[in-house]
Amino acid sequence: MTDASIDVDETGANPAHGPGASREFAGSVVALEPIMGDSVLLTVAAPPQIARETRAGRFFEILCRYEETFDPLLRRPYSAFAADPESGLLQFLVRPYGRGSAWLARRAFGDPLNILGPLGNTYRIASRAQNLLMVAGGVGVAPLVMLANEAVARGCNVVFLLGATTADALLAPQWLPGDVEYVVATDDGSKGRHGFITDLIPEYVRWADQVFACGPEPMYRSLRNVLMPLRVGGRPPVQVSMERAMACGLGACLGCMVETRRGLQTTCVQGPVFDMGDIVW
Amino acid sequence: MDEERGAPDLSVDLAPNNPRELHLKNPVIAASGCFGYGQEYAGVIDVQRLGAFVSKGITPRPRAGNPMPRLAETPAGMLNAIGLQNPGIRGFARKYPRLWEHWRVPAIVNISAESVEEFADMAAILDEQPGVAGIEVNVSCPNIARGGFCFGWDADMSAEVTRAVRAATTLPVIVKLSPGAVDIVSVARAVEDAGADAISLINTLVGMAIDIRQRRPVLGNLTGGLSGPAIKPVALRMVYQVAGSVRVPVIGIGGIASLADALEFFFAGASAIQIGTAIFVDPSLPLRLIDELADWMAREGARNLGEIVGAAQRSHGGRAPMPTLAEGTGG
Ligand SMILES: Cc1cc2nc3c(=O)[nH]c(=O)nc-3n(C[C@H](O)[C@H](O)[C@H](O)COP(=O)(O)OP(=O)(O)OC[C@H]3O[C@@H](n4cnc5c(N)ncnc54)[C@H](O)[C@@H]3O)c2cc1C
Ligand SMILES: Cc1cc2nc3c(=O)[nH]c(=O)nc-3n(C[C@H](O)[C@H](O)[C@H](O)COP(=O)(O)O)c2cc1C
Ligand code: FES
Repeated sequence: MTDASIDVDETGANPAHGPGASREFAGSVVALEPIMGDSVLLTVAAPPQIARETRAGRFFEILCRYEETFDPLLRRPYSAFAADPESGLLQFLVRPYGRGSAWLARRAFGDPLNILGPLGNTYRIASRAQNLLMVAGGVGVAPLVMLANEAVARGCNVVFLLGATTADALLAPQWLPGDVEYVVATDDGSKGRHGFITDLIPEYVRWADQVFACGPEPMYRSLRNVLMPLRVGGRPPVQVSMERAMACGLGACLGCMVETRRGLQTTCVQGPVFDMGDIVW
Repeated sequence: MDEERGAPDLSVDLAPNNPRELHLKNPVIAASGCFGYGQEYAGVIDVQRLGAFVSKGITPRPRAGNPMPRLAETPAGMLNAIGLQNPGIRGFARKYPRLWEHWRVPAIVNISAESVEEFADMAAILDEQPGVAGIEVNVSCPNIARGGFCFGWDADMSAEVTRAVRAATTLPVIVKLSPGAVDIVSVARAVEDAGADAISLINTLVGMAIDIRQRRPVLGNLTGGLSGPAIKPVALRMVYQVAGSVRVPVIGIGGIASLADALEFFFAGASAIQIGTAIFVDPSLPLRLIDELADWMAREGARNLGEIVGAAQRSHGGRAPMPTLAEGTGG
């Protein structure tokens, strides 16, 4: 990494100039239901303009503790799973993992939440793209479910691949729009294809105009391994959502950087969605 | 009677000995590295209402910073190892002074360097910039000429940097002390004698976290700076000691997350406060603190900050500051 990798104009982009202004707001828990294994779907009532500025790929920094305590200290980022501009409702898919997510997954109806967002950029469907391949790993389904809805509303064809450890950890098909072709794989073969979801990709690459992925970094690496041998013209462009520990969520602390061919970029403002080809792996 | 009940005066001059002044409409400042260049928060809060803000640390040349991961959460705190990622003084000067020139909030530029000469060169460049209200000198960085020993750990080295910066600019100069100093009071006195207009403290404490599953340090840089509520008692003790030993204004920094925290620092002798980590968690905190402080002063009948600054020092009848023997990691 050299000094020259810093582009002055790339540092500290103003989120107010991004896809929509972010703000700190009070949300209120409307529902909490089981979805996908031990994960929960959290429905939050928010000021109506928030849902209007939320697109697939954007996320929210949620304070996952009582305000008068300091543990855990930092907010946690969660991708939007759904945002309804009519009702103003936002939905998040939360997998209880460490302290923050466990606190969030235990909320009850009416509980207040302190939320900052929407933050970051969006997945971008090219204007001429017709066939879209979505590749999700685990809770990575969250932003892709939202994207699948946006894509179907635009008249695109969607194939949605989801990989999980076991059948219980898969998303039930009713959460996806009806016209989506939904294909699953499990590590233990208890449902769908036995193996990794990325093993299924060769069947769809020729069909896909664009690929959108969200999951752990090893999944992106196997995605790259599948795509790299293909000749450039036959290789669809891929967008991935990156995960980094975050403090500010606003491009101020420079704690969440991703190294790209255009220099270091913030995951929170310039991401979380990056062109896979731009990332220096 | 009615006049006495008027809104309390929150203003403060952080450079009373400097003709260029550093006049703040209130004593609440956003800390370096926690507020970017001001514009990052402009969409979320009314930045112009702050007493001032301090920029991310600027260095002589652009820096890409440290490898990832750069952040680790710790109990009531966090470790950061950003590694001073910044566009360098020239890249900085092309962009931000022009932006800040039209802002009402004073912008203070935080500078770091690895030699005395480079500190002075940066100060000279900043002296000519519009939109720069003052300089905060971060002495928590290694002095390459002295084998990488941190400037801020040593009174003579800190004074040398301060003198060089003082000679290079007429801008108000704040020297920001490192909690790793062998004797924080002697460093404070030395930089005051060398011409600092004000002293801010503390910077982060060097710490570490280890990932027990992977059996290796969490941070790419191995160590990082500890900040947040966890460091408040240490910061408060150092502010109390320093404020009791110098005449220039002292700016208290370290773990401030509420009005009660802010009041502790004012009573310890801070004329102003900086908020860092707490802004990440609660971006509107600094603005709320301004309002809460005004309300509190009105309730307590305090007309200006002078009436509360150093109250805990006075309660000891001007007793000499605590001994410094057990200080820091070198204790
Ligand atoms: C842009 C973005 C979007 C996100 N969207 C979602 C979402 O929609 N749903 C969701 O459930 N989470 C999402 N996350 C992750 C989420 O922000 C938290 O990191 C996660 O919930 C764990 O937080 P915690 O407080 O429970 O765990 P912590 O207490 O922070 O973690 C405990 C330990 O586990 C490690 N750790 C944290 N996360 C992981 C992981 N995924 N894999 C391996 N180790 C880990 C930590 O480093 C720490 O050592 C997203 C993250 C980002 C950056
Ligand atoms: C992410 C981060 C980056 C920082 N960068 C700088 C810096 O560039 N220069 C500096 O003097 N201090 C820097 N600091 C230190 C803060 O300005 C402050 O002194 C310290 O965090 C203690 O205050 P707090 O507990 O309120 O955060 C940084 C702190 C954090 C958390
Ligand atoms: S989280 Fe602070 S810059 Fe991204």
